[in-house]
Amino acid sequence: MPLEILLVLVVGGIGGIALLLHLSGRSQQVALTPDSAREQWERHFPDDDIIDVTISHDGHAALVRTGTGNGLLWSFGADTVARHLLDYDLLDHPEGFEILFHEFSAPRALIHLDEFERRHWRDLMEPA
Amino acid sequence: MTDHVTFPDAVQWAVPFFIAAILVEFLWIAIKGRGGRYETRDAITSLIMGAGNIASGFLLGFIAYAFFMWLWQITPLNLGTSIPVIVLCFVLDDLRYYWVHRFGHRVRWVWASHVNHHSSQHYNLTTALRQTWTYTFTFMMVVRAPLILLGFHPAMVLFVGGLNLIYQFWIHTEAITKMPRWFEAVMNTPSHHRAHHGRNARYLDCNYAGVFIIWDKLFGTFVPEQEDDRVDYGLVHNIGTFNPLRVAFHEWVGIWHDATQKGLSLRQRLAYCFAPPGYSHDGSRDNSNQIKAKHVARHPEDRGTPGFERFAKSEAESRSSA
Repeated sequence: MPLEILLVLVVGGIGGIALLLHLSGRSQQVALTPDSAREQWERHFPDDDIIDVTISHDGHAALVRTGTGNGLLWSFGADTVARHLLDYDLLDHPEGFEILFHEFSAPRALIHLDEFERRHWRDLMEPA
Repeated sequence: MTDHVTFPDAVQWAVPFFIAAILVEFLWIAIKGRGGRYETRDAITSLIMGAGNIASGFLLGFIAYAFFMWLWQITPLNLGTSIPVIVLCFVLDDLRYYWVHRFGHRVRWVWASHVNHHSSQHYNLTTALRQTWTYTFTFMMVVRAPLILLGFHPAMVLFVGGLNLIYQFWIHTEAITKMPRWFEAVMNTPSHHRAHHGRNARYLDCNYAGVFIIWDKLFGTFVPEQEDDRVDYGLVHNIGTFNPLRVAFHEWVGIWHDATQKGLSLRQRLAYCFAPPGYSHDGSRDNSNQIKAKHVARHPEDRGTPGFERFAKSEAESRSSA
């Protein structure tokens, strides 16, 4: 196949499919509830014993306290990703917290928190 | 031997079909309200990985091809290009695919290339196109050497390999539940391949087939999809990025970080490169066998069921559950 035609097909195909998916509402992030957050955490870490779950007001992140320490679960498109909070930096962000994981495959998570939540989450994440 | 043989690049010619089939699957799901899920960024990432795979073929394909042509020059055998020879080449290349794919899950160096294909938590036709950019670096082209030394022309071997990949495109769907029983018995199908993409303990390291599922049945790696254990797609530790560069290279970066840690022996460094995924020198990670063992410890009722055969019930347990 001539290279120009292949290029047009690939670029046009990706662009067209992206537009179709976005316009049909496939770009929405999953919203978590306490129950779904627990279920999702157990899916990612079936060995963990969950103590409690704190959901951000927008439903796109959850701080999960487990028997082995804290973890963060966050919306990743229509799905979720979870990490134990072991090797990370917690940065203030105008919209909440930015968490840097020092991990190439999950570099950062932006957590949307209001002022009250920000204090509460910091207390939970960094107990005195 | 230097005779000139040409075959079309089947994968390139299939690109319009790929795009059309994705649109049909999407519309089917949208209209029926079942049969899979699509998410914009996940799909775009998969499609860009597919485009990058074709580009990496343009950029690096000459390395494998030069190797194959060298083998072709030294072999005294030439089976020609008749239809029966092409069919035989297709079947033998599928056996080659089975083993390369199995190495791809059991050797971390090869997994580093293949992992991106499993990195989506979705399973639809775009997932089929989430292909590697780094296959050349795995050196798995050597597994094709016997075919060429047996007298199959390199162009034919690459052609049937392309047909193999095209076959595997359509099985990346939830829109088809089961094919007729005879077909499920012989061929790789959406059901068999859904199980292969599962991160559930039961489905780890199963169903490596490309076209013919008989290889898995022959070599003991077949696990049928279970109605009571819905496939959960993705990786044991799912990635948190849609960035195609991170998707393509994350496991290579992981190998580098692990193998260059201070205080390791040479054996441990090599194990981080070539042992099954999940190896760790300090026992801080689990490989697939350990994940399965932990699962049956939590769910003893699954002992001896498909995917957990090696954890078969003891005689006493069998008697008490009978």
